[in-house]
Amino acid sequence: MSPSLTTPSPAPTHTLHALATLNPPSNSRTWQSAPHPTQPLVATACADRTVRVYSLTSFTLLHTVSGGHKRSIRSVSWKPGTRGQNVLATGSFDASAGIWRRHESSRQGTIGADEIEQGGGSEGEDEKEEEDEEDYQFSCILDGHESEIKSLSWSPTGQYLATCSRDKSVWIWEEIEDDNFETVAVLSEHEGDVKCVAWHPEEDLLASASYDDTVRLYREDGDDWCQVAYIGGERGHGMTVWWVEFEGPVATIQEKDFRASKEGLSDAQKEWIQEAQKSGPRLATCSDDCTVRIWRRTPKETAETESRNTGVPSIIRSFSVDEDWVADAILPRQHERAVYSVSWSRRTGMIVSAGSDGKVVVYKERWKSQAPNGTEADVDGQKEVESERQKTEWVVVAELFSTHDVFEINHVCWVRRADKGRKSEDEEVIVSTGDDGEVKVWTLEESS
Amino acid sequence: MSDIQRYLLDYDRNKKDATATAQQSATRLQKGELKLLTLIQELQEYFNSEDAAVRAKTMAYLAEVLDAVPQKVLSLQQRNLLTNFVLSRVEDSEGLGSCAKGLLALEERGKWDNETVTKIMESLLENTFPLRQYKQQSERYPILRLVDTLMAKYRDALRTSHDTNHTFMSKFISYFEGEKDPRNLMVVFSILRVPMTEWSIGADAQELFDAVFNYFPITFKPPPDDPYGISAQDLKDRLRDCIASTPDFAPYAFPALLDKLDSTSVNTKTDVLQAIKSAVTEYDPRTIALYSITLWDALKFEILNVQEEDLAEEALNGLSAIARTLSLGENGPLNAYLRPIIKECNEHLEDAPTKQSQAAARILHKIANVSPEVLNILLAGVLPNLFLLFQTADTMAKRRGLLEVLVQLIQANIDVYGTWRSLGTAGEQPSSSALSQFQPQALEIMLNGLEAAPANEVSFRLVCLDGLLHLSKARGLLEENDVGNIIKLFYNVVIHEEPYGKGEIKEAAINGLVDIAHQKPQVVEDIAFPAFMSQLPDVDSDQSRDYLPVLEAFAKLGGEEAIFDTVILRLKNKFSAAVTQGASSTYLVALLSAMLYALKKGSSRLEQDPESSTYFNDIVLPLLQRTSSSDASHPKVFDDEPTLDLVGRICNIIIRSRSVEQQNQIAAELYTLFRGTPQPELAPFNTNTSPESTRTMIVSTHLLASFRKDARLPCEIQLLIPSLASFAQQAYLSTSVRLASLRQLSLVLNKFVPAAFLRTCIDPLLNPPTSLFDVDTLDQSRIRVIFACLKALLLRNSPSLSTLYTQLLSFLSNPTYGTIVAHGFSTLLQPDDLLTKANHCTILGLHKQKSFTQLVPNIASSFKTASQETKPNYLIALSGVLRWMPFDLVVEEVGQLIPLLLQSLDLKGEDMVKEAAITTLAYVTQEKPEALGEYVGSLISRLIDTATLTKTKASTNNATSKTDSSPPPPPRVRAAALRCLTLVPERLSTEKVLPYRRQVVKKLTAALDDGKREVRSQAVKCRGVWLAVDEVGDDD
Amino acid sequence: MELDKDNANPTILNPSDLPSRRQESLVKKRDDGGSGLFDNLVPAYNYLNDPFDGPSSSSDSDYDVVENIDEQEIYDLISSISDPEHPLSLGSLAVVNLPDIHIQPPTSPFSSVSTVLVEVTPTITHCSLATVIGLGVRVRLEQALPPRFRVDVRIKKGTHSTDEAVNKQLGDKERVAAALENGTLMGVIRKMLSTCK
Repeated sequence: MSPSLTTPSPAPTHTLHALATLNPPSNSRTWQSAPHPTQPLVATACADRTVRVYSLTSFTLLHTVSGGHKRSIRSVSWKPGTRGQNVLATGSFDASAGIWRRHESSRQGTIGADEIEQGGGSEGEDEKEEEDEEDYQFSCILDGHESEIKSLSWSPTGQYLATCSRDKSVWIWEEIEDDNFETVAVLSEHEGDVKCVAWHPEEDLLASASYDDTVRLYREDGDDWCQVAYIGGERGHGMTVWWVEFEGPVATIQEKDFRASKEGLSDAQKEWIQEAQKSGPRLATCSDDCTVRIWRRTPKETAETESRNTGVPSIIRSFSVDEDWVADAILPRQHERAVYSVSWSRRTGMIVSAGSDGKVVVYKERWKSQAPNGTEADVDGQKEVESERQKTEWVVVAELFSTHDVFEINHVCWVRRADKGRKSEDEEVIVSTGDDGEVKVWTLEESS
Repeated sequence: MSDIQRYLLDYDRNKKDATATAQQSATRLQKGELKLLTLIQELQEYFNSEDAAVRAKTMAYLAEVLDAVPQKVLSLQQRNLLTNFVLSRVEDSEGLGSCAKGLLALEERGKWDNETVTKIMESLLENTFPLRQYKQQSERYPILRLVDTLMAKYRDALRTSHDTNHTFMSKFISYFEGEKDPRNLMVVFSILRVPMTEWSIGADAQELFDAVFNYFPITFKPPPDDPYGISAQDLKDRLRDCIASTPDFAPYAFPALLDKLDSTSVNTKTDVLQAIKSAVTEYDPRTIALYSITLWDALKFEILNVQEEDLAEEALNGLSAIARTLSLGENGPLNAYLRPIIKECNEHLEDAPTKQSQAAARILHKIANVSPEVLNILLAGVLPNLFLLFQTADTMAKRRGLLEVLVQLIQANIDVYGTWRSLGTAGEQPSSSALSQFQPQALEIMLNGLEAAPANEVSFRLVCLDGLLHLSKARGLLEENDVGNIIKLFYNVVIHEEPYGKGEIKEAAINGLVDIAHQKPQVVEDIAFPAFMSQLPDVDSDQSRDYLPVLEAFAKLGGEEAIFDTVILRLKNKFSAAVTQGASSTYLVALLSAMLYALKKGSSRLEQDPESSTYFNDIVLPLLQRTSSSDASHPKVFDDEPTLDLVGRICNIIIRSRSVEQQNQIAAELYTLFRGTPQPELAPFNTNTSPESTRTMIVSTHLLASFRKDARLPCEIQLLIPSLASFAQQAYLSTSVRLASLRQLSLVLNKFVPAAFLRTCIDPLLNPPTSLFDVDTLDQSRIRVIFACLKALLLRNSPSLSTLYTQLLSFLSNPTYGTIVAHGFSTLLQPDDLLTKANHCTILGLHKQKSFTQLVPNIASSFKTASQETKPNYLIALSGVLRWMPFDLVVEEVGQLIPLLLQSLDLKGEDMVKEAAITTLAYVTQEKPEALGEYVGSLISRLIDTATLTKTKASTNNATSKTDSSPPPPPRVRAAALRCLTLVPERLSTEKVLPYRRQVVKKLTAALDDGKREVRSQAVKCRGVWLAVDEVGDDD
Repeated sequence: MELDKDNANPTILNPSDLPSRRQESLVKKRDDGGSGLFDNLVPAYNYLNDPFDGPSSSSDSDYDVVENIDEQEIYDLISSISDPEHPLSLGSLAVVNLPDIHIQPPTSPFSSVSTVLVEVTPTITHCSLATVIGLGVRVRLEQALPPRFRVDVRIKKGTHSTDEAVNKQLGDKERVAAALENGTLMGVIRKMLSTCK
């Protein structure tokens, strides 16, 4: 019955070590944690109608954002690229989204990671003092959804805010000026609750996952937003899709992940890399069906891809905007119950997943061994997506049980490490958020 | 200046003085110093004043004077003159209330003739119509009282005006229209009720009905500080009385009421149903006949689809009320009413067992209770169909459902015709019950069902059993041999059946037998006893214990007076037979236990004649012989202490009700027990006898306990007390013997030492050589003796306590023995089954109070100054005392005790202490939550810690791993803590507990995973309550 | 409002036919075949905890014997929930039945997560309240069971017209969480659970 028993999990090469539990934990369920794009902060959405902002240097609570919502806060997102202030969007079961601002005191400005390095442990306290000085102010509310908002996300440029709800719709908001939001699109393609929305790292391409078992992608066509791709039915999860997340920008990722070293690559592999270039960032999804899956866009004519690589979507469209997203891989089945969250490292390309069974699993992509056909197919019987173009395979590098004692894990994500013990500038840690109200930080280390 | 002038002056300044003035004038009238005529003349001027207020006040003055004038002062003419005068003032709308008061005063001073009355009434209707024009309640109220008086005393007069003037009534009715004030309304209702009930109102009926029904349903809520204390219920009752007052209302009342029955408000529905009930009860059969069916169709829904249990109850009352009224008239209407009911119920029986088949049973039962006639009609109407359905029923469940209905009908039959021992509502009359003709069928079905149905059909067989029981009870229904068959079947179940499931059947069968024994003792004795006896072997050769259920059943039967003697006799014989044949010890003990159980049940029977010596000779003496004898008559098992305890108790229960003379026979042999050994060689006098020989102390203790105060003990008390004291301290005694000796000490000190003599008896204990309280020679066994003495003394409120307690408390600081002493305190007030009034002990009302005031404040204060090492001793002692203290005593000191109690929860080990502390804290929470004050937080956290000790630390990885060192408190204590924690949100205001909600709810998850079921279920309850504590504005 | 019920007249089981803890315990436990009638003839406390012999947890000697949470216990937790449209318990309406409760132990030595599967049987196939009943059961268990249990509540196969849809809803943690914050719905649930022992 449960996959992990049928498929022998490969001996993990890494181990997860508990680094810290953000303190104090909440007395109620915590749903999701959003790392700040630049600062060593993480914001956690709590069932007690608050957002808790923790420091990743001292692992202590800095601010409790409260008072705006009448029901649980389900989702939280930092607005990227803000100067002199931090902006939070909160999505709540009370059907409204809230925008919160906190103006950075001059001393802190926009704080870079290295400064903290010097700041050292004391940083935590400094920030604490400020807590009273300046707190997050509720600045405006976005009404429109008919029922619970389940997820929201700012576009990479910060231009757009996407929200989704049990009312089956996805809304795209644009901030004309401070606190003046305009609804640029209401997308009602889904036939069930929309569980999650995520933006493409480079393009204005939005993905949404739903209770109707499908994933849908949207982009602007002329000045209307419309669905450009649909993942579901036969080739889909077949059960509620809980989370979607895009891979990092391919150009940068490829310089860091397993593709970095080019020597000794077969032509096929080189060609595969080319293809990946054209396809752009892939999409990871997880679902009630206990699986994590990867989807790839089938590239279009070069003219098109040219423009896309520059990150500027072409204005003139001689052809339909429709895209074709195909199954790229099913990750090894390690989970025994619904997988609620999956996150894709922008640095190592590794994927971490977690869910109802309380496990945290880390996967890594690698070149498939050049062994003769047959043995090659051992990657967790994912025949259905096997094709001779398939040059890589995903393997489990680490697996940890009872990450939050006996509780379910609602969310995991990769975060830039910022505490004293940090080994390198860009070391990443995993942040997990659980039903026990705790947010935990884990380091991933090669097991010796 | 004249009185009126003074009155007018004072009126606004100081009403009291004004009244005084009026009274003064009254006195002067009486004394003749003031002529009535002068008084009136003086008033004229003011009555003619332009100023309305003045006119009103003047009238008030007159009214007050009249009210103050003693009887007989005013002559008839004067009264008439005054009456006319006052009445003439009615035209002046000012001071109307005072007019009425004046008239009332006059009426009190002499009856009016009818003309006057008519005149008054007419002029009221003439000049003050409608009454609501007077805005002041205080103006209208006196008028209403006046009319009420007229109605009460001069009905004929008013009735005549009604009969002679056909417009009168409608004007009279509308006169009160629009009255809103509850106090006035009460009067209006009672006024209108008179014409309703007594006059012929034909034409005006509807108007009259509407006049009151407009107020239905009463929704008025009395103000918190309502001086007249008029409740909504008062109004409802009066209104209901009006509605029910005359059958003439029926055409308007029933439609109107049934219309309101559709309301969604439970209150309204209740009012409607109650109104219907009193209406059908008051109206005459002929009227009811017209509406009975309609009412049935409306009321049945409340029962068939129960929404509110209370509504169903009211509806049932209504239905049976209808039947009751109808059965006062001819049979036709009654049958007409019952027919549809029977039809409908029969239909619902089709698909039994359902909600509605159960409802049908309820309806039938309720209505059948009304009278023999009704009962019989229903039985005749339902039973044939019921049996038919039963035969054709395809499932056990259905059969069960049908029998459930049958049982209800038999119960109804019992209610009406009574049981063998008590009459039913029908009183003494030849049972003409229709049931008798169906009785054979019913009997057969149920005998068969109980006998033949498979064991796992528990509920089915239970119903059969219940039904049979009912049949056997029903007065004059079954022949004795039928009852016999039922009994046979029951004891077969008891004796031969394998216990199944929860053993409900066996239990029910035994209780059934007891019930029947109450109805038909002889039959039970003749049929069941032989069967039981045959099941009881003389000797249990094979080690099987099949006899136990039989013994139990048999013992239970002993509770039934009529057969008590026989039960005891049989048991006794069985016992001696068993002994002589060398039966096993377990069997003998079982027999003794059965005997004791029966004796306890029938102890009332024992007390009836203290002189009779039957049991004394047949049971006590032989048992004692066996105890002490060393020959064959002494069974081995009599060497076991538990057995001796049983023997002791059997003797005790028999002896204690005997006369002193009989008791003295035993008293003389209290220690020798007829064994012929000289007393001095025996315990307690001889401190180095063989352990074996000391066992009999257990028996003597129970004997000693049974004696009356004036019984003659076998030796001088001055000798006995020290002997017991030193004997009890012997190291070689077994626990039971030691305890027995200590309790003897208590018994002697409590019962056999006269107050005057007490000092002389205690001093030897306090002084050398014994010197009980000498710290240097203090040790465990001595401490025991100390407490044994104190226990005896405190029960009789001995004055010596105050000094003894102080010494005792001083021991708490003793490094070596402090803790032991501390634990002793829990024994002080611990209920003791020997030191009881039944055992003729001296137990004074206030003893707990005394001990409390002498101990608790003292402990509390010394705790503060005590050293860290000895502090726990005080906590232990405290909880020991509180453990058995009625809470209303504790509550006095509770303020200063709470901190101590909380600290006792931190003690390591000391589970009993914790338990006691928790119990008290629970009381506080329950009875005096406000006392918790600022301690709420620490109470909550300590309770949680006590309840979840095993888990709190053991978080990481495995929930079942135990990490902390000290063993957790036992389940009992953990559960108690949770029980107390459950009370907190129930008894304290939301604001107080809300802050703790989330963490409590979170921490309790640990207790949900407790190793013990009892703890878990408490945790579930507790967490449920805490979850229910709602955030303000949580809902929408 | 009585009339718009889905099933105004359900069949009712008799309490003594419902499974209960005592079934296997007590009676069976006594080897002497008696009912323990004579057990308390001699008051225990005199001979047991004599306070001078120090605190005796003897009465709880068996206190490390762990009584595991079993199907019967789950049944006892939910059978006393009352049906939203009748003042009757889910047990007596046979909406919840002992054989339809399954506990699954942890699937891996490293995990301590067990699962409880409860299949409920609506009184009739088109019972519009099936979801509410299921929700009630799930809420009750989430409140009453330690967090190491995952609770799965399903409509028994073929006993309801739209069972798949209902199951999906009941299985959706997020929807359930949101439902618990809906005052009106919670009011109904509270009323259902108010009869729980």
